[in-house]
Amino acid sequence: MFERFTKDARDVVRGAAEHAERAGAPAVDAEHLLLALLGRGPSRASFALAALGVADRGDSVRDALDEARRRAGLSRADADALAGLGIDVSEIVARVEEVHGAGAMSGGRTGRGRSPGRRPFGRGAKDVIEKSLRMALARKDRHIGDEHLLLALTVRTDVVAEVLADHGVTHASLTRVLGEGEGGGRGGRGAAKAG
Amino acid sequence: MTEATDLAERAGDRDPRVGLRAVAALRRVLEQLEAVQVRSARNQGWSWQEIAAELGVSRQAVHKKYGRQ
Repeated sequence: MFERFTKDARDVVRGAAEHAERAGAPAVDAEHLLLALLGRGPSRASFALAALGVADRGDSVRDALDEARRRAGLSRADADALAGLGIDVSEIVARVEEVHGAGAMSGGRTGRGRSPGRRPFGRGAKDVIEKSLRMALARKDRHIGDEHLLLALTVRTDVVAEVLADHGVTHASLTRVLGEGEGGGRGGRGAAKAG
Repeated sequence: MTEATDLAERAGDRDPRVGLRAVAALRRVLEQLEAVQVRSARNQGWSWQEIAAELGVSRQAVHKKYGRQ
């Protein structure tokens, strides 16, 4: 499967591993893929993000991810579902942080003693990579580029998809700015030079 | 108005998606809480045996999960 990945897509996957390592996270996760997609040089994904006005809002995206990590990585939809059971996540986080310090519920950061070596890919990241293949198939694209990784991030029901949607990046808006895939329409635009 | 909202909420509660999502979210919170508490206990010099006893699981289970941190 990886042989169909463009250089851009491979760079993102590698970048995600670096982000995970720098953050001391135990595994590479979907959020690290998003961090790697932000602030890249010219690529299809960065073009799409720029077209949707996210290029200059990288800090806002990063802040939103940080905030979610503080809440045990729960999305707002998760927090709402728990509120339906009478459980106030922000209250839990506040009390735990009072005793154990800020960021206590953010997990992962226990990795002070972790060797700086390679991290395994977590379930979320694997799911994104798998879905990126499906995104490419759906668009009848022959390659898997970083735009397919970005598309895959938007179709999941986690914090990353929620943060992206909050910044106007959804599957629908991406499809709009990316245009049709290689197989869509004759000589459709984007008959990719994204090699 | 409030009645309508209440009804809507109650109807929503019967949606399995909301209920299942709550369970999954609670599990994540639980995992984080456990990690926080185990770390805190270790920092205070608790043995794996003592931690396991409080959690109601085997010593091996706790050690396997947190031992290498």
